[in-house]
Amino acid sequence: MNEELDSQLSAMFDDELPQAECELLALRLSRDRALQARWGRYAAIGAAVRGGDIRLGGMVAYEVSSALASEPLLADARERPMQPTGLTLARWWRPMAGAALAASVAALSILWLQQNSLPASAPLVARSTAPSAAPVEAPASYVVPRALEARAMRMPATELANYVVAHSQFSTPVSRGSLLSALMASESAAVGAPEQAAGAAGDPDHHADDSP
Amino acid sequence: MQTTRPSDRLAWFVFALVVASTATAQEPRLWLERMNQALTARNYDGVFAHWQDGKVEMLHIVHRNQNGAVTERLASLDGSGREFIRTGNELTCYLPDKRTVIVETQSGEQGPLLAGFPTFDEKSADFYDIRELTRTRLNRRNTRVIAVTPRDEFRYGYRLWIDESTAMPLKTQLCDAHGRIIEQVVFASLTLASRIPDSAFKPEVATDGFQWLRSAPRAAGPEPANASALWSALKLPPGFRMTARSAQIMPGAQDPVAHLVFSDGLASVSVFVETRSEVVPADQQPVAGVANVGSASAFSTVIDGHKVTAVGEVPPATVRFIASSVKRSEAALSAASPGH
Repeated sequence: MNEELDSQLSAMFDDELPQAECELLALRLSRDRALQARWGRYAAIGAAVRGGDIRLGGMVAYEVSSALASEPLLADARERPMQPTGLTLARWWRPMAGAALAASVAALSILWLQQNSLPASAPLVARSTAPSAAPVEAPASYVVPRALEARAMRMPATELANYVVAHSQFSTPVSRGSLLSALMASESAAVGAPEQAAGAAGDPDHHADDSP
Repeated sequence: MQTTRPSDRLAWFVFALVVASTATAQEPRLWLERMNQALTARNYDGVFAHWQDGKVEMLHIVHRNQNGAVTERLASLDGSGREFIRTGNELTCYLPDKRTVIVETQSGEQGPLLAGFPTFDEKSADFYDIRELTRTRLNRRNTRVIAVTPRDEFRYGYRLWIDESTAMPLKTQLCDAHGRIIEQVVFASLTLASRIPDSAFKPEVATDGFQWLRSAPRAAGPEPANASALWSALKLPPGFRMTARSAQIMPGAQDPVAHLVFSDGLASVSVFVETRSEVVPADQQPVAGVANVGSASAFSTVIDGHKVTAVGEVPPATVRFIASSVKRSEAALSAASPGH
């Protein structure tokens, strides 16, 4: 069963899985946490295998975000209206058992991988189980903070994690969410790695999107 | 009947304009406050994508506020397996890739999490420009797009897509002073639930054979509290001021660490000073330098033989500035010395 799933995931990333099977896999993704984790790993592996930079540079990050953000729900008629506070509210992006979520995750990864294999000037084409995304907004750069120190800081991972957790209690809620998300998600909580130079530094055309 | 003079009418007109503009100017700030309150006070269950430094991660957040008691679980869905769970005063960090569990216990009330987080005030406005960019639909929700732009390079800015009905941030961008995006969070699904069961906050990590690092029980007596009073910052970036100080024993450690907090109303930086100094061989001394956890920066250095580490959601230059400015307070030192 796992081999079959791996085969399907791989085919989906390679754009070789028939649409009907894509939809079924997306539905399953919405329910299966372990499968979601495998999907995430395939996203990283796929990018590496293609020889592309895993880094989401330039237009890609924002376009993926826009596609994700503007992805319409698959079955509008099923959406329940939002309830007032205190009652169970309708789940967004979930017209049929989370398929939109899974489709959105699928769309995110597929768009990302496709963009990495296309010339920079090629238009972004949404290929997913969901309807086509809305036209993409003007791109924004995605940069790494400029390096100040080339030396690594010797700090054990657990010591840095301790400090981050202790500090997070004094952050604003939105900052706290980002901080803890980074701690949960990335390996950078390990011994500090040298910062990398900003990739798009000095490019005046790449700015945060003022238009949603 | 007395008629108003043109000068009176003009004065009232100007007054009305000032009131209107003040109200308008305050509204984006109100959206920030509503958002922070919603993130703290509401119950929610969501899955979001986190972009930073060339990586995309999917995470799951469950948050519950039950009569002021906050329970929270944040878990990576993408394979790191890391989880963060807050239950009352206990913060547990599961790091399966390190085969380690960190348990930090806060004393007393839940402290700043509910009521003491930085708030944007008039002073903060000197260092950030905050405005509403537009109203738009995102994920079929009406949202207000609020931009918080730093006026210098000591802090980051934000673009926030705030749901008008619930005040939850559906999309968040962290930007540098030049407007370039350095981090992004986008919710793929978000449910606001009236009730969330305890089972939603159970860890999924199997911890057999893991190293457990817990905070040692704090010894009674004044010494831990005084530890932080010995330290302060000589200089701070514009707008930053000390907002909290304490001393705590980190998980796995024996001696208290002084914890100073500095904030400009939006960004905050913690400085940790190890209170025990010792002669460290040259080849084991910590190297001053910067590390990152996501977009947050950490800088560590040695001052008067004590290791000083600054951590905050600010640019690297800011943590270095603050950490390098920390000094021992001579007044506090003399007051603390025997004979007083």
